[in-house]
Amino acid sequence: MKGFYGEFGGQFVAETLIPVLDELDKSFELLKCDKDFNDKLNDLLKNYAGRPTPIYYAENMSKKYGCKVYFKREDLLHTGAHKINNSLGQALSAKKMGKKRIIAETGAGQHGVATATVAALLNLKCTVYMGSIDAKRQSMNVKRMKMLGAEVKVVDEGTKTLKDAVSAALRDWVSSCNTTHYVLGSALGPYPFPKIVSHFQSVIGKESREYFENLGIMPDYIIACVGGGSNAIGMFKGFLDVESVRLVGVEAGGISDKDGEHAARMSFGKKGIFQGSLSYVLTDKSGQISNVHSVSAGLDYAGVGPEHSFLKEIKRCEYHYARDKEALDGCLELCKLEGILPALESSHAVGYFIKNASKFKDKTILINLSGRGDKDLEIILENMEGAI
Amino acid sequence: MKGFYILGGYPDMKKFEEVFKYLAEKADFVEVGLAYNDPVADGPVIAEAASKVVKSNIKIDDILKIVEAYKKSKVYIMTYANIFYQYGLMEFSQKYGKLINGVIVADLPNRMHGFFYDNGFDIPIIPFVTPESREEDIEGLKGTKADFIYFVGVRGVTGSNVNFLDDELVEKVKFVKKMTSKKVVFGFGIKTKNDTEKVMTYADGFVIGTEAVKRQTDTTQFKRFINSIIE
Ligand SMILES: Cc1ncc(COP(=O)(O)O)c(C=O)c1O
Repeated sequence: MKGFYGEFGGQFVAETLIPVLDELDKSFELLKCDKDFNDKLNDLLKNYAGRPTPIYYAENMSKKYGCKVYFKREDLLHTGAHKINNSLGQALSAKKMGKKRIIAETGAGQHGVATATVAALLNLKCTVYMGSIDAKRQSMNVKRMKMLGAEVKVVDEGTKTLKDAVSAALRDWVSSCNTTHYVLGSALGPYPFPKIVSHFQSVIGKESREYFENLGIMPDYIIACVGGGSNAIGMFKGFLDVESVRLVGVEAGGISDKDGEHAARMSFGKKGIFQGSLSYVLTDKSGQISNVHSVSAGLDYAGVGPEHSFLKEIKRCEYHYARDKEALDGCLELCKLEGILPALESSHAVGYFIKNASKFKDKTILINLSGRGDKDLEIILENMEGAI
Repeated sequence: MKGFYILGGYPDMKKFEEVFKYLAEKADFVEVGLAYNDPVADGPVIAEAASKVVKSNIKIDDILKIVEAYKKSKVYIMTYANIFYQYGLMEFSQKYGKLINGVIVADLPNRMHGFFYDNGFDIPIIPFVTPESREEDIEGLKGTKADFIYFVGVRGVTGSNVNFLDDELVEKVKFVKKMTSKKVVFGFGIKTKNDTEKVMTYADGFVIGTEAVKRQTDTTQFKRFINSIIE
């Protein structure tokens, strides 16, 4: 069936959105092969966002853990995370489709900031939905969005986090889809969003592949954190056909295995239908969506992009989790050893690596640093009292 | 076809039982909502009520027991895809296929009905038409097993304001009736007797949701409201 990855994906949304999703799919298929569009996008990616991002060989860390560790530096991008790749691509498409307004949801605020930024750049009106808990714990990003001219709508319903921001954005879009494009922030939601977002993020994997091809080696492992799954899918896409490369997604293990205290959908979730697609989801037997927790606002989401569920099912990728504490330790370790402050999302990938370092002995590992940690300083300091 | 949407188990089982029993005798059909904690298609009134039901842990089977006990009119279950999916698509239809006349699934667009049917669901799924539906979308509904087509008159969530005599709306409903030879029921945004009278000049029926749910907490008021619409 069109729009599915194996049994995952689909379009589980209000009928009202079907014509817009079709229009979006059609225009995306045209634009993605359009030379003008790609020239413009590549120019912005390079000169505005700062691509290609470097790959950094982490000598101190490698020495300490007895392996070769490389980092893909998406944290060096304009606005501080990989999210700008997707926001630029989608906002530019929206402009080409004649839309005057864009909306977005945001958890950590990074996607909101990236979208508000490109809205300013491309002269589009912009509204960003954000759960009230997230708005509080990422208040700096709320201020940034406002400075950039975006309207931030704080959502005080349900769990007051990303899930409810997505619902609010979907509700807005149902009423405004004639004039508005929804810049969905991760490789999830109804088809064609998972396809579009992974396309715009695949630049991460492409650049990484080129780098290692030039070195004449391939990494043994690639590790990326998985919130909705966009930075991970963007990276994995570059290596899916290289069987020797083991692809590892790291979810938020929160504080325990207990329902409501983590966001590890692949480990504890089941197949379900949530916010547009069939995928692994944290849901109870009666069909209610479970509460989630993570120290990192960008990872606490009950669903995950459908392509990841498919890659898990066919065993091409493996999915594990890192606890809050392991992520925080990973964050501090990277600061101390390499002078890099990673986002708490990316810190999950680092934390997983450190915890399992013995498994990686003598191997070559590429870790995707999806973003930088400036936005998380307060949370880090709050949680690591005494350690710093 | 005069129909009302009420939320299963709201505000508690006893009051729900009373309003369901009343409606089953008075209305042509009753839509029974099963609460979901991510109700993207619902406005604040229904969403808040649903969140209370979810917190009180009421079971789907208990709601359907009440439906079974008092059912006289047609009954449609309205909810979201994950509720049926987690219950088991086949299990649900084996258990309740004889009892209920159809389901309305807010996040299951027409083109995804096949996904439900292919996985063992065999209760008729009511199709949606919206002001945005294209001619080919509507033509595809000719063969539906459902009793009627649900016309979502609003770009937005339940409880919004609508101009019921808008030319485009009226023409669209007439077109759907002609194209599919099916009954068309107008949903979303209806509040008063006056609204229903306007809608009934071109549609075969209507559903009132938000205004009914608002009164579920006070059964006397609820009954008075139903009478004001029906009589
Ligand atoms: C820096 C960073 N990394 C990762 C994520 C997780 O999202 P995704 O899995 O879509 O990359 C976020 C989300 O906000 C983020 O800000």
